[in-house]
Amino acid sequence: MMETLVEAFSIPVIRHAFIGMTIAGATLSLLGVIVVSLHLTAIRFTLMHVGLLGAAAGLALGFSSTTGAFTLVLVASVVMGTMVNQKTVAASSISGLFMTGSLAGAFLLLAGTGVPAMQVFDIFAGNILMMTQTDVVFTASVGMVVVLVFVFAYREIQLVLLNRELAQVLGVPVDAIMTGMFVLLGLGIATALRLVGALLVDAIILLPAMAALRFARNFGMALVLSSLFGLTTTIGGFLVALFFDLPVGASAAMVATLLLGISMIIARISAH
Amino acid sequence: MSIHSGSHYAVDLQSVSASYGSTPVLDNLTLQVHKGERIVISGPNGSGKSTLLKLISGTMKPTDGTVDVLGLRLDNQLDRQRIRQQIGFLTQIQQDPEIAVSVCESVLLGLWGTRFSWGKRPAKADRDKAIDRLALVGLEELAHRDIRTLSGGQRQRVALARALIRDPALVLMDEPTTYLDSTAKEDLVNRIAELHRQLGFTSIIVSHEPLSALLSDRRIHLESGAVQEYREVQP
Repeated sequence: MMETLVEAFSIPVIRHAFIGMTIAGATLSLLGVIVVSLHLTAIRFTLMHVGLLGAAAGLALGFSSTTGAFTLVLVASVVMGTMVNQKTVAASSISGLFMTGSLAGAFLLLAGTGVPAMQVFDIFAGNILMMTQTDVVFTASVGMVVVLVFVFAYREIQLVLLNRELAQVLGVPVDAIMTGMFVLLGLGIATALRLVGALLVDAIILLPAMAALRFARNFGMALVLSSLFGLTTTIGGFLVALFFDLPVGASAAMVATLLLGISMIIARISAH
Repeated sequence: MSIHSGSHYAVDLQSVSASYGSTPVLDNLTLQVHKGERIVISGPNGSGKSTLLKLISGTMKPTDGTVDVLGLRLDNQLDRQRIRQQIGFLTQIQQDPEIAVSVCESVLLGLWGTRFSWGKRPAKADRDKAIDRLALVGLEELAHRDIRTLSGGQRQRVALARALIRDPALVLMDEPTTYLDSTAKEDLVNRIAELHRQLGFTSIIVSHEPLSALLSDRRIHLESGAVQEYREVQP
């Protein structure tokens, strides 16, 4: 087993993929705490669909699908964050608007430009083994931004998640923080798209946080557990994929699903 | 900045109008609240009750008229910040919160903008004060519990402790008893009344529910953005 590991990690592509997954698991999973606390599960699903349109647009314009997806997800997260802050349209309506619009746009682009559909749908599966050193550095940078934001604005984020009305009265810049969290979420989803694909983004971002929030008794504990569960998901998934010759994204998603399932059982047992 | 330190009023609104975009909410409203007084403001949805609290807390600017709070006119950012430091705010109960926050931390957050803010950590004395305020509402033993595990009534008592941690001269309460069952409602009303006696803050409560006379020296009924009824409450 050890030999297999040493042999695998001597290959740069595997090494990059492992480091990328580890960083993503430890840092991007923190964003799940925001998603769950603000009931943003629909919006993060929308951003995945926006990623599909971005992939199609990227290929149509001569860029890579991941570059297109990354850019559009980031832009959409800013726009959606601003719209949610204005409170003139419900978050669910914004979500529906962007999701349907993105899917329609993606299919129209596919039909109109002759971009091969299979290439676009690669965005759903991701391609962790195509990670370069630059990708690793980029993932690490995004991860660092996420961690720094939580460290710097730890109590401000807590206040906004706890009670936005109160936060506003106390003088916390609620709208700026909400927009910032949307952008951060977009950045995280766009980064995770490159690693595990749109369908499995939840494995890194959402499921570890959902499991963590079942055990956490305070915000700090929720973040630490989320990060630990994220690490377990990505490292566990990576090793399972390596030893059993399975796809990395799907293996990580399976580990995350098991983790959440076990946490639900434990939480239920300890409640009785 | 204009200071009226000799003012007898905790809140002095003169000919205030407010609107959301082109929709007027308050029209030429004048209201004065004495220091230490307890006011309950009632009225139907859309009558401008919550807007009034936003104007007093400085989170909204009037389109016309003046708003003086605790001797400061709220016409610039600096004065709004100063006033916020002396205001406690109790919102209606947060139903089914998803965020994990300990009871003590939740109370401590009420000090944001006074003892700590961006990048500045609260001190041990602040945590001690949070426990002290929890004791005021009888929940110090639950200080390390997650707020998600508390009942609605307990969560609202925690919110009351959070409103009081700033040692506020003025406490604004927006529908504090909404969604509480009758026992929790009665308990909260009695606690607010008792704490008012102990601490002597001015309170303005907005509620669409009929609240006990324990909480009001004066009742004001708003309708269509203007005062429709103005009644002294007999002891």
